[in-house]
Amino acid sequence: MNQLVAPAKSLDKSKTPGALFSTLSIPIAILVLVVIGSVASPSFLTVNNLTNVLNANSAVGLIALGMTFVMVSGGLADLSVPANVAMGALVTLGAQESMGTGLAALMGLLVASMGGVVNGILIGYLRINPIIATLGTGSVLLGLSQLLVGGGIVYAQPSALSTFVKSSILGIPVFIWIFIFVALILHPLLARTSFGRWSLAVGGNYQAAQASAVPVRFTKAAAFAMTGFLAGLCGVLLALSNGQARPIIGTGYEFVAITAVVIGGTSVFGGNGSVLRTVGGVLITALIGNLIILLGFPSQATGLITGAIVLGAVGIDAYFRRKAGRL
Amino acid sequence: MKNFDFALLGTRAVQYRLVIMLVAVAVFGGLSLDDFLTVNTLQSVLDRATVVGFLALGLTPVLIAGQIDLSIGSMMSMAGITTIFMQPVIGNVPAAAAGVAVGILIGAVNALMVVVFKINSLVATLATLLIFASLALLLTNSYPLSSEDPIFGLPLTADFLWILTPRSAIFLTAAVLMFVWLKLTPTGRNLYAVGSDAPAATSSGINANGYIATSFILSGFFAGLAGMMQSLSTAAGSPVAGAVMLIPAITAVVIGGTRLEGGRGSSLATLGGVLALGALTTALEYNGVPSYTQAIYTGLLLILLISLDRIVSGHGGASSRAQRSVRVAPRNTPLPRRNA
Repeated sequence: MNQLVAPAKSLDKSKTPGALFSTLSIPIAILVLVVIGSVASPSFLTVNNLTNVLNANSAVGLIALGMTFVMVSGGLADLSVPANVAMGALVTLGAQESMGTGLAALMGLLVASMGGVVNGILIGYLRINPIIATLGTGSVLLGLSQLLVGGGIVYAQPSALSTFVKSSILGIPVFIWIFIFVALILHPLLARTSFGRWSLAVGGNYQAAQASAVPVRFTKAAAFAMTGFLAGLCGVLLALSNGQARPIIGTGYEFVAITAVVIGGTSVFGGNGSVLRTVGGVLITALIGNLIILLGFPSQATGLITGAIVLGAVGIDAYFRRKAGRL
Repeated sequence: MKNFDFALLGTRAVQYRLVIMLVAVAVFGGLSLDDFLTVNTLQSVLDRATVVGFLALGLTPVLIAGQIDLSIGSMMSMAGITTIFMQPVIGNVPAAAAGVAVGILIGAVNALMVVVFKINSLVATLATLLIFASLALLLTNSYPLSSEDPIFGLPLTADFLWILTPRSAIFLTAAVLMFVWLKLTPTGRNLYAVGSDAPAATSSGINANGYIATSFILSGFFAGLAGMMQSLSTAAGSPVAGAVMLIPAITAVVIGGTRLEGGRGSSLATLGGVLALGALTTALEYNGVPSYTQAIYTGLLLILLISLDRIVSGHGGASSRAQRSVRVAPRNTPLPRRNA
């Protein structure tokens, strides 16, 4: 929670209502959701429920962290995420018998990362529109993953690694630890390193970044390679913890991840954003999903409410930005 | 010199890609299947391409205007379930109209979000994609509705004028009408101007917002048409009918040569893309290739064509970068803006 205080430092730098709104909106939204939740249901504010919520959303949260770099660097969105998740999961379970769980998991990660690298080459180096490129690679990779298993389902064998993935350390599930660990690496990578500044520069103004000798192609490609890797990681972890995988394992994850990043306030046009904000966005989407179930709404309503919140959040943000621009 | 010839070959390959694809599919189908090259196959390709075709046709003006609409699949699902649900309530024909009206209404919502609330179209239509996919599932409780009058929609896919069925005839007519609008009328040409440079278009007196809003409403109209026809001809309103349609529709538009960057494209090119894609899937299906393997071919084709287009047209994007910097320049430099 204390991580979320960090963006408040920029508060005194800009005093426009828009900046204030963007800075405070995430903590306030989380607070509001927690209050609604604890009023609505006694089982909401329990360690058990909150741990479960975070555990269930850590997988897609990993992807949202990668998607942050994609959006920040002006790469719009990676729509091949479900395919890379499926690749990571199916390769791991498919190769488990022949090469052992550890090596199989590495294979899964490698194959998904390769998918990300292909995206990176197409988008960063060939400068193909990211939406089209990732639709294409997603279609190919999902088809390949289905071909791999004949369109069916693969089951995991019991292994030390899957026991570990399902276990808890200090009362917190390993899934959440992995999410925190990755977020703790990626946040300074975007906020403090040259690579992070390149990403922001490329997304902010491609020509200017190029003129300033920023390796524009590499930066953009790396964001997609990273998202491919994280989608693969998500797939590997899901396959090991669920004990089975099918090609539809990651369906819809691309939209959930994009939603989390957008709710976090990262601009779709690129040029600004932070991993911490995405962590906030993941928390918000997770809490909303949980509240929908606790309040007794049908689970199909999740998309309806998330979509409405995206429209609201982005609409208000756009309004304040325009107002700030006019002032 | 050798290099030059290669580039020329590439350019020609990109230019005539639709012809090359159709010939390749015809040769492949003719060699691998005994009775592929028949009038029946042609009729079937045209008829089955209709649903994706309507979606792709609706997407074309949106892309020309430099926007994107990811919600076409959800609009189609909503239109389909509305049509089937309303059939016993208000009768067959009004129900079909209600289905199309739902598409137009959601298109208007998209237009409102993009034009009035200034939300980026990718985000706005992603949100409406989620909202209306979810609403379709909620309204039907995730089960497909079956039609009270399954006979009514059958004539849509019946024989009509040699190689056509009524719905493919409507589709072809719509494509031609849209071509006439886009290329031969001032309003059509204005749409291209809006897509290639909205600020410049506004400066020259074009109501850019109006054109963008119109393109989204048109996209809703065509998605509604697709949903209405699909649900009537299958006599069922599935809440997920449109969920798998987005990728084939975008692929068809892009194979045709309409650019996502805006300002370029044509409805006849989209028609070509739809037919090429439809012929390919039909040939693969007749050969017993499973649908997921077809997805591999479609995806590879998309990537190959786009890469080739990129490499040939701009040697790695150089020309488009020049174009883009020209386009960006007036916005970044304050002087011309003040003059305008």
